[in-house]
Amino acid sequence: MKKPIFLFLSLLILGGGYYAFKTYNKKHINVAETKAFIKITAADLFNEFDSNETEAMNKYADKIVEVMGQVTSTDLSNAKEPQLLLKGNGDNGFIRCGFKPEELEKMNNLDTKTILLKGECKGMNSAEDLDLLADVDVVLSKCIIIED
Amino acid sequence: MKKIYIRCLGLILIGVFGFINHSGGIYSSNTGNINFFSHTSVEDISADNHKVKSAFDATSGKIQFSLLIKDFEFKKALMQEHFNENYLESTKFPKAKFNGNISNVSAIDFSKNGKYSSPVSGKLTIKDVSKTVNTIATFTVNGGVVNGKASFKVNPEDYNIEIPKLVVNKISKDIKISIDVDFRHKH
Repeated sequence: MKKPIFLFLSLLILGGGYYAFKTYNKKHINVAETKAFIKITAADLFNEFDSNETEAMNKYADKIVEVMGQVTSTDLSNAKEPQLLLKGNGDNGFIRCGFKPEELEKMNNLDTKTILLKGECKGMNSAEDLDLLADVDVVLSKCIIIED
Repeated sequence: MKKIYIRCLGLILIGVFGFINHSGGIYSSNTGNINFFSHTSVEDISADNHKVKSAFDATSGKIQFSLLIKDFEFKKALMQEHFNENYLESTKFPKAKFNGNISNVSAIDFSKNGKYSSPVSGKLTIKDVSKTVNTIATFTVNGGVVNGKASFKVNPEDYNIEIPKLVVNKISKDIKISIDVDFRHKH
């Protein structure tokens, strides 16, 4: 009679341990392998954040999005995360897209081109109360270029 | 005729001088690095953000930072999830900001290569709570790029960040924030 209980408890502990181990070592989201939740233009994405940040955060934060837009510039000043800007509102608003360093070679000669990329949405970096920081960026991370 | 010539020359000189001498004006970056590091005997936790927006006014000394909490990247995905969802509530409070002053800015010659240091103090806002932060920053001027480095410590409790009892011994009360930004002159 004792044997089945012992076996059951052992299985429970092993299963629990395995689950805890898997959860603790959970992997970061893989952008390339994750289906985008939406395909949207850079201008529309920017407008949604600009008109209602709270609503846009609830909708887009931590989600994988595919964004189509025109590259206004590439910013390679930080080798740890090369970045490019997509035109947002045509003024001081952009989609700032961060890439892993290994994507760097795919970022050449993109200026003024209209491209499609995929990344994880992090929110909108703006600072209305800080007068020196005038540009507004909707931020994507771990981006990959899909079409250029 | 001579007067006009002298005036023109004067204007050209002012223009040229203004172009070469970048000692005044705004220096900015959208790709600054901020790391935070928590050390306890149980666990070390470190996370990086490489898209920090920052700018300073080389004349007044005003310096500002803004970053997205969700853009801190941790080694472990689970830690990142807990940090955002349970502790920082980053969907509700997406940004951290700093608004301060470089008190010794007049002693820094931004047109000449060299290393300078100055106290920086200001208000750090996290989760809508603002606290005064004081530190000493180093500014290294090199070929038009001004690298700014500084570090200071924060206690999560000061910013209404509640750490559950279960993990309280894993998270330090003195979290080290390290800043490393390459500022470029804004034309």
